[in-house]
Amino acid sequence: MTFYGYAGSILDIDLTSGTVRKKDLPEEMARRYLGGLGFNANILYRELNPGTDPLGPDNILVFSTGPLVGTSVPTACRTEASALSPATGLFGTANSGNYWGGELKCAGYDALIIRGRSEKPVFIRICDGSVEILPAGRLWGKDAWDAIKAVRKDQGDSEMQVAVIGQAGENMVRFASIENGPFDAWARTGLGAVMGSKNLKAVAVRGTGGIKVARPKDFSAALDDTRRAINSSPFYEAFKRFGTMLASIPYYEFGSLPGRNYQTGRPENWMETRTRKQLPGLSNRGVSCQACPIACAHWVRVKDGPYAGLELKDMEVTPVIGFGAGCDIGSLPAIAALSGACQRYGMDMVSASACVAFTMEMYQKGIISRDDLGFDLPWGDEEGTFKLLDMIANRRGIGNILAGGTRLASASFPGSEVFSVHVKGLECFLADPRGRWSTWTFGYITNIRGGDHLRTRNPVENLKYNDNPVPYRTEKFGLPDRVYESLDMPPELKKAAFDPDSRDVNIPVMSKWSEDLISIYNSLGMCIRPPVLHTVGPALFSRLTTGLTGLDISPEDIALAGERTWNTVKLFNLKHGEKPEQSDFPPRFYRDRPADPGKEPLDPGAVKAVLGEYYRARGWDPETGVPTPEKLAELGI
Amino acid sequence: MAKEILIKPSLCTGCSTCSLACSMQNRGEFCPSRAHIRITKMDFEGRFEIIFSSSCRGCGICAKSCPSGAIKLIELPEAAG
Repeated sequence: MTFYGYAGSILDIDLTSGTVRKKDLPEEMARRYLGGLGFNANILYRELNPGTDPLGPDNILVFSTGPLVGTSVPTACRTEASALSPATGLFGTANSGNYWGGELKCAGYDALIIRGRSEKPVFIRICDGSVEILPAGRLWGKDAWDAIKAVRKDQGDSEMQVAVIGQAGENMVRFASIENGPFDAWARTGLGAVMGSKNLKAVAVRGTGGIKVARPKDFSAALDDTRRAINSSPFYEAFKRFGTMLASIPYYEFGSLPGRNYQTGRPENWMETRTRKQLPGLSNRGVSCQACPIACAHWVRVKDGPYAGLELKDMEVTPVIGFGAGCDIGSLPAIAALSGACQRYGMDMVSASACVAFTMEMYQKGIISRDDLGFDLPWGDEEGTFKLLDMIANRRGIGNILAGGTRLASASFPGSEVFSVHVKGLECFLADPRGRWSTWTFGYITNIRGGDHLRTRNPVENLKYNDNPVPYRTEKFGLPDRVYESLDMPPELKKAAFDPDSRDVNIPVMSKWSEDLISIYNSLGMCIRPPVLHTVGPALFSRLTTGLTGLDISPEDIALAGERTWNTVKLFNLKHGEKPEQSDFPPRFYRDRPADPGKEPLDPGAVKAVLGEYYRARGWDPETGVPTPEKLAELGI
Repeated sequence: MAKEILIKPSLCTGCSTCSLACSMQNRGEFCPSRAHIRITKMDFEGRFEIIFSSSCRGCGICAKSCPSGAIKLIELPEAAG
């Protein structure tokens, strides 16, 4: 059939045999799973058997774009990459923007499936209809930046979009990332190690084709309304200027930063050194992904001090909180340099900084010493942090143990298990739930990929407040009426998710919706930045998708596809051995009293009760969290 | 009043909404390679160049869709000719 919106084809490459197949996109899959994460969940749930080695040839790596990718819908540029995760042993998945997905779409493919293992290092070159598996001997050993430059030079195309691994991926560090161009990445859950295990250094893409629109008039009207909705967000201008650095101050004020590996929520001198207030000295302009009006990333230029001359796209809150709070690295230029190092090695900054913080705490507590490291590693030590990152990426010395992530590493260092802060093997990030209890932080334990903050965010989270009117169960809303009125979500769910009088947010119910909503975003190819996430929902997505593709997809179909996707990933995880007790916080959050006054450890009974409510909201067994047959029948899985 | 397109490359963030919109308006599909405007991305330097092809007829859709202010439509006073 002729597809509109979709490219209409899936590229299926087997690196063992060297075969390249082009398959038609099944319309049924497009209707039921939309694209992106949905496609990946559907493909991997069907094809990967229990017992598959994440770093063996039987693992499958899938990149899927969404139908909106390659159009001018604001922020529609994102691609989901997924495989069985070497970090968690469960569904590994990461989402990234930039321009790679747009090129893949214009080359004629909605998805790219990579199987098997090449005997020698290779890279894949996709230029429209031409797909080649080429030797990568000269690229192997290069860091991500140098490899991108070399590919572009060899291909004579300075703008070719390159997905690439650095030394960490080659050495199968379990939290290695796939870098997406120089400064973006499919970072979490160790997908770079999967690429490395396949001897695949890079996937370079160039597409010159077009994306056709089924009903231009309808699509154009939906596009105008989408732009208006996003531009009217109260977060829009602030996000344009400060991006995710907006969170740098409230999380300090809440006492919920992961300071010194979650020993303090308020690192010393934070406000003077590591917030958006210091940003103007480093950056005064933003850099966009394709089709994005926000441009939340900052172009950083360090003018003086030890890192003078450093220029890169950075200064998002991820490295600032990971290295700045987690390891207590005390200056933004040093943090920018560390994030540059992670980009070059191809390592997830969240897990990498968490591993360094974990090692610093082992050093603090005398579990390891200078003899184990070869150098001292006090809190905030920049030089030691660079050295340790290098040892991890190249699996040298103690770095070889830390390359397994904190869960595996803690088994080698008795006494460290209590401060290995992960869920399901994925290091936690951003906010300490003892300092801020919200849909976002509760989501660490319901998240399909482990201790992560990017799949569970309440679309109307309000960083002005840190209140739970009903402890553990609700969070304060506190936004203008128009934000509530315009929030686009299924009416029944909206009724259940908000208190009719106070509009306080019911955390377990909102968790269910935010996970479904973010799954929709990750399937259609949209970005979850707040000005978009709270303004664009199933109603606009239905109009955009229907106008673009000509497939009549109702708002209900959109919502159901998000829920179907989340459930499919849950089934994948159960199939690959996830146990109910894994959906829980690490011991530090229950046992240790935070250093900050007024903060208490989490109450396990209260957490369990909210988790049960969440399972009920999902239509899952309230004790085990297993989707019920009735729910699966409703979703047609 | 006559309208002209004003360019400020230093404001460009590289989003390429202009070339997407141009190709949709003038070619009937989203296809940056066939657009009359092209954003060259020098990503390692964080710089972008805005280049019009000789086929551009000045419809202004690029300016209307630009979210960063790098491309604007300005009105020329009659006296300016």
